[in-house]
Amino acid sequence: MTPPPAEAAIASAGLAPAASREETPLRRFVADFAESKVAVGAFVVFVLIVLCAVFAPWIAPQDPYDLAQLDILDGRMPPGTMGGAGFTYILGTDDQGRDMFSGILYGLRISLMVGAGSAFIAFIVGTALGLLAAYFGGRTDTLIMRLVDLQLSFPSILVALMILAFLGKGILNVVIAIVAVEWAYYARTVRGTALVERRREYIEAAECLALSKPRIVFRHLLPNCLPPLIVILTMQVARAIALEATLSFLGLGVPVTEPSLGLLIANGYEYMLSGRYWISFYPGIALLVTIVVINLVGDQLRDVLNPRLRK
Amino acid sequence: MMTAGLRSLLLAAACSCAMAGAAAAQNLTIAVGAPVTSIDPHYHNLSPNNAMAAHIFDGLADTDSRARLVPGLAESWRTIDDTTWEFRLRRGVTFHNGSDFTAEDVAFTISRAPNVPNSPSGFGIFTRPIAEVQVVDPHTVRIRTRAVYPLLAVDLSNVMILDKETHENATTEDFNSGKVAVGTGPYRFVRFAPGDRIELERNDTYWGGRQPWQRVNYRIIVNEAARTAALLAGDVDLIDQVPTADIARLKQDQRLNVSEVVGLRIIYLALDHSRTDGSPFVSGPNGEALDRNPLKDVRVRRALSIAIDRNAIVSRVMEGAAIPAGQFLPEGTYSHVPGLNPPAFDPDGARRLLAEAGYPNGLRLAIHGPNDRYVNDARIIQAIGSFWTRIGVRTQVEAMPWTTFIARAGRQEFSAFLVGWGSSTGEASSPLRSLVATFNREKGFGASNRGRYSNPELDRLLEQALATVDDEKREKLLQDATRVAMEDVAIIPIHIQKNVWAMKRGLRHDARADELTRAMDVRPGG
Repeated sequence: MTPPPAEAAIASAGLAPAASREETPLRRFVADFAESKVAVGAFVVFVLIVLCAVFAPWIAPQDPYDLAQLDILDGRMPPGTMGGAGFTYILGTDDQGRDMFSGILYGLRISLMVGAGSAFIAFIVGTALGLLAAYFGGRTDTLIMRLVDLQLSFPSILVALMILAFLGKGILNVVIAIVAVEWAYYARTVRGTALVERRREYIEAAECLALSKPRIVFRHLLPNCLPPLIVILTMQVARAIALEATLSFLGLGVPVTEPSLGLLIANGYEYMLSGRYWISFYPGIALLVTIVVINLVGDQLRDVLNPRLRK
Repeated sequence: MMTAGLRSLLLAAACSCAMAGAAAAQNLTIAVGAPVTSIDPHYHNLSPNNAMAAHIFDGLADTDSRARLVPGLAESWRTIDDTTWEFRLRRGVTFHNGSDFTAEDVAFTISRAPNVPNSPSGFGIFTRPIAEVQVVDPHTVRIRTRAVYPLLAVDLSNVMILDKETHENATTEDFNSGKVAVGTGPYRFVRFAPGDRIELERNDTYWGGRQPWQRVNYRIIVNEAARTAALLAGDVDLIDQVPTADIARLKQDQRLNVSEVVGLRIIYLALDHSRTDGSPFVSGPNGEALDRNPLKDVRVRRALSIAIDRNAIVSRVMEGAAIPAGQFLPEGTYSHVPGLNPPAFDPDGARRLLAEAGYPNGLRLAIHGPNDRYVNDARIIQAIGSFWTRIGVRTQVEAMPWTTFIARAGRQEFSAFLVGWGSSTGEASSPLRSLVATFNREKGFGASNRGRYSNPELDRLLEQALATVDDEKREKLLQDATRVAMEDVAIIPIHIQKNVWAMKRGLRHDARADELTRAMDVRPGG
């Protein structure tokens, strides 16, 4: 165990809090990120998707969750058909006469909300537990990390299915299930990073100053563990969106009258063979694009935030 | 040179095709959607099992494709008095292992059928009315019932006759292994691979005449898409339970035929009649609790019924694989009520009725249903939710797996829910007794009356019908009881399913109303 050079420790201890104030690291971060045109493009698409989702009630020609607005006689219309309600179904309708375009916009709302919400909660839970494990070590560490091992040894979809079978359907329960599946990834990552960081001199210095333990953990240790966590967070948002879609596809997620992307795809699945492709196809494309752009942004973040890859 | 070579090649191809066709004509491969759980004909009263049993075994009576009773191993039967029936048995019938079919076998069968160990749903319901079986001579049996029981012959058509010598002490496992899988039926048992297939071979000495197929391969393909794909690929000759989404496309396919018939399964909504002070999933227009149950008011029930556009559900959700229903049974069946049509779609009338009943601002309601049991079940309740919301009954739709759903429905947890009922006997006493008669465990009434509807007049008519042996008088009473139930909107009928099969061109299939898929209904040519 060779201690890292003192300069590095001082630099990282001093830089982290100072960084946001001076803004130069932020500018450098933006410049680094912009190096990849693909990532910038993905980011722009991502922002567009978020805007579509946020403003869905104003963009969508129909409220797909209001049963009174659905006309079953307009069911399974191909894209571009003029409906009874006086607007064109540009992406067609599903079996209930639900406008697919409106359905996708509203579905994106659910997907993004569930994805971002559950990834963020999992981030908080996982990070807190991982830091505790790393800082206190010993029995706490063993207990938390064995729990992580246990969690990671089960296929995540299986765990989520069991939780939903127990809790019942509903968006909130889907979030709980995804958090329960994902927290372990954060815990494991943050523990690894924190174990390295806590042996550094700045932590030792903080301990010598007799600062309180929470203060050391959250003000000194945590900020220095953040970069890899941010990368995982973006990746896990994409994973959470995919998991929500899977659960809804299996009929365990959202209610049938408020379909998310996964349920829209499930609704059209039976019609694939009979040539009415649009019911599954367009929501599938929306889901695909969303997940791909988030992953592209995440990849670039990983490259930018990884000091070893920095030129 | 070139043309000659080509011609001979074509000729050879044509020949091999014709030969393949001739060979294939001897064999029939069927793919069914629901697994057969046992070869023991008295183990599990389940449509797929009963369909398979009909290949290997025979009952005293049988039903034709329109669910009418026809003779089976009994050539004829008559009632001697109100509680005594005499069956005259067919002579010269032998089991596949050569032993003779006699009256002793009938007595043995009736004693075995209700007593199969570990039976998940047994055949006791068909033998319970029987008090005594009397063997008069080897070809005559007299059966005495405990009370007047006009449905005895219908019920016995479900009970397959076994051989006393062969099947005494035979276990269900012995049937599944093939050791004692012998009956009098048109096909002999060859092999049973649970969850996969059953292989059968023609019984050349069948009393009803030789079947056209040398061998029958009865395959189980549960996945709908895989079943359709197997037919399209030519792996199987006939499939049942064609998904509604595929019917239109299969009908257009030149290589295929589609057969369909209006079935005996009604899809309906049951409503909560069990509570007078509010129902768990019904509330006022702003979500406030109500101090009485609006569903007890016939005007509300009628409003909910006429708010539904049954033609739209049939054409859009079911894609034509159903007919709109206004009563339990389709036209052409015994005890169908002529002129009792499906309620006409009338949203304005529905709003008026709601206002008259004291709900001018509408209601809130949740409708429940399964999502894995009936054809398009979750889609149907969504469509109904949409129709109800448009007359001011804001509806929340909840679809769930069948096992969860039916347990909760049985505990009266729901206010309005979608269920189905297949009338296996093909006449109205079955749905009347099970679905709308006042719940009474001792009498066996209302066993599936999960909304707990109760109407003394209906009960009286039904009991009278069940004690009437005369077919015409009984039909009249059953029709009256049906009319009472429908006018009081005891349930809201939606549609009656069509049973749909698809097969290779060159096969003719007599589609059965009772949903059974049998090789005996398939003939070459057509």
